[in-house]
Amino acid sequence: MLNDLQLNSILEDFDVAYWKINLLTKEISWSQHFNYLIGNPDPGPNKFEFFLENILHRDYRYDFREHFEGLTTRFKPFTAEVRLKLENGKYRWFECRNLKSKDKGFSDAAVLLFVNIHQAKRDQYTIEENFFYYRETAEMTSTGGWYLDVNTNAVYWDNVTKKILDCPMDYEPNPEDKMRFYAAEHHGKVENMFKKCSKFGIPFKVEIKMRTLHNREFWVRATGKPVYNNEQEIIGIRGVYQDIDEQKTNELNLQNSLDIIASQNSRLFNFAHIVSHQLRSHSSNLSLISQLLREAKTSEDKLDLLINVNDISENLEEAIKDLNEVVTRQNNLTKEKQLVKFKDALDVVIASTSSLIKRENAEIIAEFDALNEINYISEYLESILLNLITNAIKYKFKGRRPVIYIQSYKEHGENFLEVSDNGMGIDLDEHGDKMFGMYKTFHRHPEANGIGLFITKNQVEAMGGNISVTSTVNIGTTFKIKF
Amino acid sequence: MDHPIELACIIDDDKIYVNLVKKIIEIKKLSQNLIIFKNGKEALDYFKAILENVSEERLPDIIFLDLNMPVMDGWEFLSEFVKIKNSFNKKITLYVVSSSIDPRDLERAKSFNMVTDYLIKPIELKRFEKIFERDVA
Repeated sequence: MLNDLQLNSILEDFDVAYWKINLLTKEISWSQHFNYLIGNPDPGPNKFEFFLENILHRDYRYDFREHFEGLTTRFKPFTAEVRLKLENGKYRWFECRNLKSKDKGFSDAAVLLFVNIHQAKRDQYTIEENFFYYRETAEMTSTGGWYLDVNTNAVYWDNVTKKILDCPMDYEPNPEDKMRFYAAEHHGKVENMFKKCSKFGIPFKVEIKMRTLHNREFWVRATGKPVYNNEQEIIGIRGVYQDIDEQKTNELNLQNSLDIIASQNSRLFNFAHIVSHQLRSHSSNLSLISQLLREAKTSEDKLDLLINVNDISENLEEAIKDLNEVVTRQNNLTKEKQLVKFKDALDVVIASTSSLIKRENAEIIAEFDALNEINYISEYLESILLNLITNAIKYKFKGRRPVIYIQSYKEHGENFLEVSDNGMGIDLDEHGDKMFGMYKTFHRHPEANGIGLFITKNQVEAMGGNISVTSTVNIGTTFKIKF
Repeated sequence: MDHPIELACIIDDDKIYVNLVKKIIEIKKLSQNLIIFKNGKEALDYFKAILENVSEERLPDIIFLDLNMPVMDGWEFLSEFVKIKNSFNKKITLYVVSSSIDPRDLERAKSFNMVTDYLIKPIELKRFEKIFERDVA
């Protein structure tokens, strides 16, 4: 049996402080180390009450008194975690436990140990806290973890991954059909990034579309990093899926609005251009005439000038009519979309341009079998066809019979219309950027008014599509519309 | 001040404007002769032909260039004309004349060294006369 001194020194070596309690007198003596820890205070006559009042954190007062009673009256084992105020005024965690005496007869004294567990306690809290934050963050950001064993191809998912993929918690991913959880259009990309990571250790961070168990497609940010064993061989890929569907959808919507705004802005620029140029040029001519009228000496000169006024007024009226047409077409959007047959629209156009077609002996070939109708505003489709067909005839190659080939088709789920001609063509390197602008004419042609393609582009874009052009000088031009 | 300028040149597609300017030049006797082009391409072809024939007699003293024209607009003409201009010995003054009040057009025109000034239509008669006088001096 160790004597007090030996016990004391061993306990101090381990940074353990203790109380010795005389069970008969209830007298308490504090070990030297205990005294040291709490700053060698003067406890006064009642050490126990002093301890409860000044050293022990008040949250533990009741429990400590209970335990102490149990130990000293019934020798009930004392074990508790408490916080004590040390000499520096700070609270530290201690585990408080009675030393179990093997000698049952020797029971007039009890030893209460105070073991400093502050660091362990703090670590435990940190871990709990971190785990809490990790789980909260994962839940809140819908970020699920996963692991792929490269050798067995086995896949492990955590609960959040299962949740964002609409899988029940007991769902076990099957290595065979793991691709089913990715949208078909991204299969190639996914296979490629997994191969690169498992073979060469190249990590990935991509935005891809995934597919839940119920086949709902949604956007995910997927990251993956290789996992190496001690031999530096890649044994697996670990990563996370983050559900970013909402952000991605917002982003795409934003981009869409941006595109719309940009196209509206360019239209406004065109309007500004008309007002600034077309209208001003007439008014400036008028002003020039009035200056000249003042200077004119003979009435003959004056009369001569007045003829010009007439020309100007006609031109001005023409410009305002053009402007009005553009505005009217753009406000046509209130009309309802309906299924329009390409053939019906073409028939209307051919009927209204029959004299032009006859005069130029133009041939129109239409192929609408691959896509014979679309959901559109019929007036728009007619106007688009009218503009493209009259353009094709107007800008025919001199001496060549105009041939116009019109074809509708579907590609990658999108609807297309192509109008090709064998006309004079246009140098797109030179004029491509101005092609669809207002009052842009490229040919020395009396009928070029520079408004047709501007309106066509506006109509196509107003319906959410786009129009592009390819052309070869002296060979012909093809307009392609994506609806 | 008898016919101080021998040959003036207008490049503009606005027939009415051209007619009026022609009248002004005639009435005020600002130039002995006048050549008119409907667009930049026609004017450029003319200058290129002079370059090949090495005869500078038919080169204008002053050019009034419009910006917005079909086939070849004023900008395209300017960038082409810059390339051949230095082959001529004769000093040619060039004014851009446009109804555009867009400040970007003005900036762009001034970025060409050979552009003496940017005139906004309508040009005032007095201003017009002054330009011809100044060009002589």
